[in-house]
Amino acid sequence: MNKTALKIFTCFTAISAIVATILLIINFLGFAFIGSDVSTNIHGNSPQGMLYRVSEALIQTDNGFELTNENTIPSDCWCILIDEGGDIIWSKNKPTDIPEHYSINDIAKMTRWFLNDYPVYVHTEDYGLLVLGIPKNAVGKYDMAYSMEWFNTLPQRLISILILNLCLAAVLACVFGINLYRRLQVLLNGINNLRQEKDVRLKEKGIFREISRSINNTAIAIERKNLALSQRDNARSNWISGISHDIRTPLSLIMGYSEALSESGELSEKNKNKAETITAQSIKIKKLIEDLNLISSLEYDMQPSKKSNVRLCPLIRQIVTDIMNSGLSDNFETELNLQDEKAFVSADESLLERAIFNLINNSITHNKGGCKISISEYTENGIVHLNISDNGKGVPDKVIESITEIPKSPHGLGLPMAYRIIYVHGGKMTVKNRNGFFVNIELPLE
Amino acid sequence: MDELKNKKILIVDDEKELLQMTETALRNEGFFNIYTAENCREALEIIKNQSIALILLDVMLPDGDGFSLFQQIRKISQTPAIFLTAKGEAEDKIHGLGLGADDYIVKPFLMKELTLRITAVLRRAYQIRQQETEFYLGEKHISFETASVTSQGKEKSFTAKEFILLKKLYENKNRIVTNDALCMTAWGDVYYGYENTLMVHIRRLREKIEENPSAPNYLTTVKGLGYKLVIKDE
Repeated sequence: MNKTALKIFTCFTAISAIVATILLIINFLGFAFIGSDVSTNIHGNSPQGMLYRVSEALIQTDNGFELTNENTIPSDCWCILIDEGGDIIWSKNKPTDIPEHYSINDIAKMTRWFLNDYPVYVHTEDYGLLVLGIPKNAVGKYDMAYSMEWFNTLPQRLISILILNLCLAAVLACVFGINLYRRLQVLLNGINNLRQEKDVRLKEKGIFREISRSINNTAIAIERKNLALSQRDNARSNWISGISHDIRTPLSLIMGYSEALSESGELSEKNKNKAETITAQSIKIKKLIEDLNLISSLEYDMQPSKKSNVRLCPLIRQIVTDIMNSGLSDNFETELNLQDEKAFVSADESLLERAIFNLINNSITHNKGGCKISISEYTENGIVHLNISDNGKGVPDKVIESITEIPKSPHGLGLPMAYRIIYVHGGKMTVKNRNGFFVNIELPLE
Repeated sequence: MDELKNKKILIVDDEKELLQMTETALRNEGFFNIYTAENCREALEIIKNQSIALILLDVMLPDGDGFSLFQQIRKISQTPAIFLTAKGEAEDKIHGLGLGADDYIVKPFLMKELTLRITAVLRRAYQIRQQETEFYLGEKHISFETASVTSQGKEKSFTAKEFILLKKLYENKNRIVTNDALCMTAWGDVYYGYENTLMVHIRRLREKIEENPSAPNYLTTVKGLGYKLVIKDE
């Protein structure tokens, strides 16, 4: 349960950190791409290109200078040519607020920045400095200078930013993740309790409100169903115990009188036998009634209600002793090998006794001529093993195959009853023919 | 033995047929002082006026249940009682015996069984002093009164624990008594942890009662289960 939530939490944190880092890298690249696009367009041309074409088109004639192609300078741009002395020797579209003469300082300023707020681009020619002016506010200029060290350490710094980012993302994801983990934990506990049919009431709030509500509703539905089931089971078992109660008194009369008849001297031998048969059959009915409740509850896998901590070894000794004291033929031999005297199981003692008795009794009834019955007990990894085996004829395969089914007739009830009893105690019972009959019972230690 | 037969027995059951049948069966067995009652009121009336020796009590009665009737009876007398009931669940049985009843018989039952149990309860209740106080194991004479064994004129005493163990085995003579039952009787504890102690006590007992303690004839071991005191009827 914890593991699941922890797994979700770890995955969530890792994915969050990775996603954050990938996003950062993409953003980095995006910014770099946008930042590197320093082209400034004037009528579809860059000013540098325009200046280059002007420089190409400008030729020196006898009357000064002229452009071979007038279209190289758009009407909102202007161009001047300054000679070595700082005077304008040629101009095109020159605005009136552009001076005629330039000092060295003017030139130095203009090449870097602006000339009277006009963004300007310069190109050196053989005969002077060619200056191209474009409209005011068309271009912004920033002077950027980086030390060489900045360039050299750039990769390290980029990587450390990435790592820092990764860590930050992980921390943030952790914070949110812990929150998520807690909420998930609550949900998981709820679902777990649901499975164990415990009472489940989750708070319906937060992002998992809908899920919590679903779990609560499921819990209510299960509760309702269980209640209906247990009511039905109770009604059934009450009905059965009522019936068995009601049969007992009339059966007492039948048994009592048939017994009296068979002992009285007034009856012929033949009729005496009949009376004895009535008695014997009545005793059978009596046994059936006694088992009726047990069988019906076992058939519906009802949990044993009177569980206590039972010491297994004394119980086994008692059962074997009772069987031997009740006049077991000398043809039977029993051998006990109980290794763990400390073994406790949580069980309904009378049910467990019945199961073990049935198994030992099975060996006795299936081998009328006698056999050796071995009973061994040992514990291993929190499980107590009880093996009951004999060296007799074994049982028909059909009996082994149908051991999980409570038979409709009372005949052959012993093994299935034992199987069910072990099953409702959370144990396992395996049966096979191996040089006789062999049963292994596994029960969880208390 | 005949002394038991004239004890007064009261049968309380609301089923007339059953009442009659039980009465007839007990009369056939030789009991002749038999009273019957069909409800609590009648039963209490009879108990007040007669010195009843044993009550057979049905649990379900028209004017109350047998358990509370039994508690009422206990307030005025210590008469032994056997519950005779159609309620077969283990809880009812435990409840009935827990109240202090002497036995609990679930219907239906064989009359033979009923008379045997009645005799047993009566014998327990009224013939305690005639209980056996001595027995022989071969030549050796064992006395419960002096807690000792006498052989060829020599008397040896049993220790308290030895005596308890021997008594328990004698009460169940010719039947296996589990190690657990012996430890519970002697030390009030489970067998686990007393394995050696029990073995030592049994060996000492054998030294006193057996002719050859290493090849016991009477106090025999039943391997893995417990011990058995074998006494052959003469």
